[in-house]
Amino acid sequence: MAKVKNWQIQRDMEYPYTEHRPKRQWSIIFDLNKCIACQTCTIACKTTWTSGKGQEYMFWNNVETKPYGSYPLAWDVRVLETLGQQAWKAKEPYYGKTIFEAANENEVAAHFNPKDEDWMYPNNGEDDCLGNVSHGEHITLPHDKWFYYLPRTCAHCTYPACLAACPRKAIYKREEDGIVLIDQSRCKGYGECVRACPYKKSMYNPHTRVSEKCVGCYPAVEKGYQPMCVQNCIGKIRVMGFVNPPWSIREGNPIDYLIHKKEIALPYYPQLGLEPNIYYIPPIHANRDYLLQMFGPKVDQAVANYKNLKNDPVAQGLMVLIGSTDRIMHSFKVKNGIASGYDEKGDEIVSVPVTEPLFERAPFDKDLKAVRNNTP
Amino acid sequence: MKMIKFLILTTFLSSGLARAEDYSIRKVSADLSKPPQITADYWQNVPELKVDLLAQMMVKPKPAKVLTESVKVQIVHDGKYMAFRMRWADKEKSEAGKLGEFSDSVALEFPVLDNANPPPIFMGYKDNPVHLFHWRAQYQYDAEHGKKGIKDIYPNLSADMYPNEFVNRGSLRPATEAELETFSHGKAAGNPQSSLKKALDEIMAEGFGSSVVREDIDSAARGEWKDGEWTVVISRALKRPNGSVLEVGKSAAFGIAVWQGGQDEVASRKSITMQWQPFKIEVK
Ligand code: SF4
Ligand code: SF4
Ligand code: SF4
Repeated sequence: MAKVKNWQIQRDMEYPYTEHRPKRQWSIIFDLNKCIACQTCTIACKTTWTSGKGQEYMFWNNVETKPYGSYPLAWDVRVLETLGQQAWKAKEPYYGKTIFEAANENEVAAHFNPKDEDWMYPNNGEDDCLGNVSHGEHITLPHDKWFYYLPRTCAHCTYPACLAACPRKAIYKREEDGIVLIDQSRCKGYGECVRACPYKKSMYNPHTRVSEKCVGCYPAVEKGYQPMCVQNCIGKIRVMGFVNPPWSIREGNPIDYLIHKKEIALPYYPQLGLEPNIYYIPPIHANRDYLLQMFGPKVDQAVANYKNLKNDPVAQGLMVLIGSTDRIMHSFKVKNGIASGYDEKGDEIVSVPVTEPLFERAPFDKDLKAVRNNTP
Repeated sequence: MKMIKFLILTTFLSSGLARAEDYSIRKVSADLSKPPQITADYWQNVPELKVDLLAQMMVKPKPAKVLTESVKVQIVHDGKYMAFRMRWADKEKSEAGKLGEFSDSVALEFPVLDNANPPPIFMGYKDNPVHLFHWRAQYQYDAEHGKKGIKDIYPNLSADMYPNEFVNRGSLRPATEAELETFSHGKAAGNPQSSLKKALDEIMAEGFGSSVVREDIDSAARGEWKDGEWTVVISRALKRPNGSVLEVGKSAAFGIAVWQGGQDEVASRKSITMQWQPFKIEVK
């Protein structure tokens, strides 16, 4: 085991390979306050990548309702159970064990192995609220009865458990963008990645007898476009770009801005120790203890920062840019009420008003001699 | 930990082939090139060698304990081919298919460069390969019944339509095999794992995780599970170009690995021989 630096848990940790960060790192940020579980992302991925035989059950992108939804069944509960109770004090590094450190001497990572029936209910728990709403209840913040939607792709982790566990070394992390891929010509379907990935984002194809996973839509990314699940997001809740570790933040990079500068987006289950590269803006209405478990002790601050965005025209501008372009935004600027996104070369790819201008229409249309009303 | 591994390795390396007596392999008058017979008469008087196995312990992931403690082995040759009959206890038959299910399996290992001085038994090393004959219950099912389709594995599964799966109607033409497999990533990438198997694979390896399936096969295998026991016969050509070459009248050695698929054993989770098993191929 080597010692590697994991900034998400603010300490060095054990990992089977030495630290090696790619030139840049693929990343998606999701605003969980806005996801409506329309599953358009899921279907965008499905029709692009997993419509073949043996992939019937596969959702490289899935959206589950928390706390009861899960795909595969109870993956989060079972991984946390395997890891055992661990403590993480606010404002301190995480001194509990990661899945690599909690593994017994025979294994690469503490894990569980889902069975086929665990994969067969991708919509289990959908829209199930924690508790029944009884007569006379009213809304408080956070909500007393709550649920939220959690869209998930592979996190193209900095320290992937799938890669670490593959005895054939058939999984690799790309130098150019940090995307983690299973070599489809070398994999022998041992399923060690399926066992080891705590997020359960590596899947076995019984038709081809090899394992598969989210490919980060690398053909699109190579051309400067965001993945299919991001491009097609109806709620405009996601943005894909490249994240840097806190010691090499790039000014103007929308991803670094939301994660490091504004501190409103957090990795999920960072305590597992993989440095996952999908980040979430936590839902402000959901139970704080639950969020604490999922996003770590920085969640209170992230929620507070998010609530403050209304006073920050730059951050607001970025929130409007999200979902306004299919291209990858390498940088953004907000000036005179206009938010603009730029590609790698610095050329403008999109510009949007931070606040849509308000048009007032007279109640009577003189040309048509008709009264206007808002009834469709 | 590295130190311990090194010690273990050197212990096994130095033990080399200096072991009791070579198992002597007699010639039988039968055609062993044919798919092997498990109950043929010629097995009757062949002495049985009990080969002890241990849980693989060199690389992670490792099995928590040894699931196959020993294999009973009989070996014969016909001058051109050599057949191994192996029996071991396994309480359930597992042919894999469904998600998270693995196949029962056995592999025979032979040195390639020098039969008298084989490389470490753990899958060989760089520039000193080993030649493996890997039978799986799953591969045998392929050979006998064809590759299980997704509908065979999950009969109640429903899928609207697979890409390119349309028939000739009007201007459309039937899709070619390659078109049908466009969205089968492993198949489209030419992975041998995704193709129909002939009961076993021949594999070359130069260390853990380095195995490459050979395109040419000059071997056959058949297994039968009955009353909690597998009997598997693997027969191989004595001389395999660019692989293990055995000669009548000379000595060589083999190793065995067994996987109990029903107990989630696959890849490095296996029971293996920790020492090469020496044998001599008798002229008669
Ligand atoms: S498309 Fe967007 S809003 Fe719809 S479920 Fe997916 S992430 Fe949520
Ligand atoms: S989320 Fe899982 S499959 Fe994806 S890189 Fe991380 S460990 Fe691998
Ligand atoms: S990045 Fe591409 S492959 Fe990955 S979940 Fe999204 S659409 Fe699917």
